[in-house]
Amino acid sequence: MINKYFIKSPISIGLGTLTLISAMTFAQTGYEVAKSVDERLEPKDMKTDMTMVLTNSKGQSRTSTLRTVNVNGGEKQMLWFLSPADDKGVSFLKIEHDDKDDEMRLWLPAFKKVRRISSSKKAEAFMGSDLSYEDMTNRNLDENDYELVKSEEIFEGHTCYVLKTVPKSVAESEYSSHITWVVIDGLYPIKEESYDRTGNLLKTKDFTFIKLDGYYTPIEIYVDNVQKNHNTRLTFTNIQLDTEIEDDLFQEKNLKRLPRD
Amino acid sequence: MKQWALNQSLNHPKRTIIISLILTMLLSSGLWLVQMEDDMLKLLPDDIESTMTWEAVQEEFGNTNLMFVAFGRTGESVFNTQALSDLWTITNEIESLAEVDEVISIATLNRMDSDDGFMEVSDLQPAKDLTDVEVDRIRTYLEKTPDMMRRVVGTNGDFLNVVVRPVIDVASDKFRNNVVNTCNQNLQDYKVHFGGEVYLTGSIPMLMRGDVIRLMRIGLVVMILIMLSSLRSISAVAMVLSVIVMSLTSMMGFMGWIRHFTQLDIFYFSLMNTSMPIILLTIANSDGVHVITKFFSKLRLSGNVKESVEGTMNSLLLPIFLTSATTVVAFLSLSFAPIRQMMGYGITIGAGIIWAWILSATFLPSLIILKKWNLSSSAISKSNFIERVTDKFGSIVIHHPKKVLGAGVVVLGIGFWGLFLLNVEVNIITFFKPGTEIRDSLEFMDAEMTGTMDLQLRIQGDIKSPKTLNDMITFQDFLEKHPSTTTTISIADVIKQMHRTVMDDDPLYETIPDTRDKVNNLFTLYSISGDPDDFSSLVDYEYKTGLVTSLMKNMSTKKIVTFVDEIKAYASKHINSDLSITITGMLVIFNDLVHLLVKSSFISISVSIILIAIMAAVAFKRFHWGIMAVVPLSGAVIMNFGLMGVFGIHLSHITAILSSIIIGVGVDFALHYISQFRNLAARGVPDSEISQQVIHEVGYPIVLDAVSNMSFGALLFSVFLPVMHIGGLMVFAMVSTSIGTLTLLAALVEIFKKKLRQ
Repeated sequence: MINKYFIKSPISIGLGTLTLISAMTFAQTGYEVAKSVDERLEPKDMKTDMTMVLTNSKGQSRTSTLRTVNVNGGEKQMLWFLSPADDKGVSFLKIEHDDKDDEMRLWLPAFKKVRRISSSKKAEAFMGSDLSYEDMTNRNLDENDYELVKSEEIFEGHTCYVLKTVPKSVAESEYSSHITWVVIDGLYPIKEESYDRTGNLLKTKDFTFIKLDGYYTPIEIYVDNVQKNHNTRLTFTNIQLDTEIEDDLFQEKNLKRLPRD
Repeated sequence: MKQWALNQSLNHPKRTIIISLILTMLLSSGLWLVQMEDDMLKLLPDDIESTMTWEAVQEEFGNTNLMFVAFGRTGESVFNTQALSDLWTITNEIESLAEVDEVISIATLNRMDSDDGFMEVSDLQPAKDLTDVEVDRIRTYLEKTPDMMRRVVGTNGDFLNVVVRPVIDVASDKFRNNVVNTCNQNLQDYKVHFGGEVYLTGSIPMLMRGDVIRLMRIGLVVMILIMLSSLRSISAVAMVLSVIVMSLTSMMGFMGWIRHFTQLDIFYFSLMNTSMPIILLTIANSDGVHVITKFFSKLRLSGNVKESVEGTMNSLLLPIFLTSATTVVAFLSLSFAPIRQMMGYGITIGAGIIWAWILSATFLPSLIILKKWNLSSSAISKSNFIERVTDKFGSIVIHHPKKVLGAGVVVLGIGFWGLFLLNVEVNIITFFKPGTEIRDSLEFMDAEMTGTMDLQLRIQGDIKSPKTLNDMITFQDFLEKHPSTTTTISIADVIKQMHRTVMDDDPLYETIPDTRDKVNNLFTLYSISGDPDDFSSLVDYEYKTGLVTSLMKNMSTKKIVTFVDEIKAYASKHINSDLSITITGMLVIFNDLVHLLVKSSFISISVSIILIAIMAAVAFKRFHWGIMAVVPLSGAVIMNFGLMGVFGIHLSHITAILSSIIIGVGVDFALHYISQFRNLAARGVPDSEISQQVIHEVGYPIVLDAVSNMSFGALLFSVFLPVMHIGGLMVFAMVSTSIGTLTLLAALVEIFKKKLRQ
């Protein structure tokens, strides 16, 4: 699900390496880099277990583990809470639509009810984390302006593009800009700084990727809301890609059934 | 030492004056380093239970010290597009202030709606400019949720309430000023009222200090006029005033320097330091008046200026030193007070008193020496009205000592009885006289809105447990039965609302769910559709501590004590024993603080009296003189508090602390009296004349000192009750200690004069 064009989903970020070769052979504009990243190959679907650790300014933490399944870079997604015990059985279904509001449904086992939910606020946090709904929705390529700040910079041992993204007003973004370090050899992000509407740093995001089944896949995402002094660490394990998940799975009735391993 | 000081003044007056001026200027230059601190919250001691709980609450839930802004037009419904548009603007303007953490109003609240299995958390007010339909939608929702309505709309529906939460550790005066200025700029078309503890604590110091300065100026003019009419010499009054002014500027400069070098916050000039200049003024005035009147009386007899100054200083150096030393001790005893700043207060005023003594012992006699006195002027050649009345009064006391003592003992008995009737009682609203803007605002907030005070119950336990949540509801029901409670808020209210929403908006489900799993499901549901930060002021991150906030109308400390006791009794009887419940809030802390201050003031007064008695006994080399020295001030203290009890005047922290004025000046009069008695006894004045002569010599300066200082009774006309207390206490301290010295002490000395001469 996450990321507009970089983090398509914390669960399914597929970055095709082959598409990037041409991008590296000649000087590019910011838009071209963004487009290259957006057009990279991704796995068709992904299954993974995700551990989410939220830590507040006093160092207190909340940890949840979830099983997630998604297709098409997070356009359709389901997740089931495995722990803590209080949350076990709660499950969530999201289906993104281009022409209308996203569908979101939550199964509340204690009430034995499915509730459709909606948040009109893009900036609102998802499940108490430091990722907003905007962070988790694919960035529309044409709703942003791009500037290639640096065509090459060594960052944490990687040769990176430094790309500045400025959302247009049509995007109705909570941010004024993002600065992203994109690894040239793989076209995946390793670091992003996001600035609020007043231009102050709001969040820093760190990504760890591995290459799995030919895809660059995230295994850890760390988001620090520097203004709230609150952070979120997402760790992905048991990652399975291209397992032929069928569209039929993404139905309300399946929320009540926790998938087998 | 004494001879050396005397020699400097008598033989090198110009040099002495120049050195005194230079040293005074050096000390006074620290004036520019004085830092003001108007944040009353910084005065709170951090080791009392309610403060510790309060700090824990601030740590867990953010600042709970709220400010309320109510605006509207009487009789006109707030549910119109213009009012809500203006609410949107003022909410955003206040939110943008650096001192503000959160603003709660219709413009920031969320609504939870349920429709055909669909749950949505959305903004109650979606935009600045609304249509009539959208305004109606807001009104309908609030009518469905009366608890929420009560928090944001006045009882008559014509005022909107904006609740403002400051960031932690913000200076309340700065926060208050910025919020008030923002509202005044943006809400000019409305009637605006302010309330809340942070508003009061931010307003009081600035307003009160301004009032004290205004009234002190009047008092100073009256004082000068009284001294002029009595001393009949502009030069003499100017000399006394110069000592006063130099002592005051030196004291303030000392405060600046010591803060600069130590960087300690106890040396900031805060609200309580407002009384410092008044107290030093009375003490410095006392020293100067005694020197000048003694000099006039000697000059009248001898006609020789140098000889008169020498005689004056010989007989006054010891008593002035003693009065200064004992007063310093009295003020240093404030270090035992629970408020740390009192130590800074005691040290600073102590430095001022010592400098006043040095100037009175060196600078003042040097000025007198240099002045060419007209021996035939009425000031020197003739006694004045006060002198004659004092002599007459003294004569009565001397001739009827036992009757005077008996009458004194009866009066003291009444005062002693009154001590048992004393009540500790403070009601912040009565700080302001009826009809003042703040008083009107506070009364409006109490009558029409959610009040201006709050009380917090910190509940530790499993907050997701239905039993805990039901206990919270039970507690809230109990709190809301109290007439001063306007509404209560807790996480249980939110759970009830969510439960109803999930259950298809069925009002029957506006309850706490029956299982922990259900409660947890509701929290999870909200975390997906809303911002969990919405709960941060209601429950901690780990759901182990919850906060029940009771918004209250203004209450007196006595009522707070009763209410807190009732809450504790209710908790122990009805509430789940697994829960730990502590009560806090500024109301409770203020109550605890006042009681602590009163208690510590009594300890401080007792310690001072004992120390002064010991010092006097050592200085006069007789135990009985130590006892005699504290008789008038002990009597004055008993009368002060006793009469307050008899006449039903409540004891507050202000009156308790300022009783040190009584100690400060009361002991001076007694020491002058005793010192003069010993001087005359040493000179062999016979028993039959000695008391009359003592009263003739010291009675006049004591009365003049008292009468001139009583000019600060001008403070009685303040709009602030605490300032009126200062004025009243000044008058009472002067009357009681001067009369106590000239009746009780004079009668005792007359009765026991033979024994005392030995």
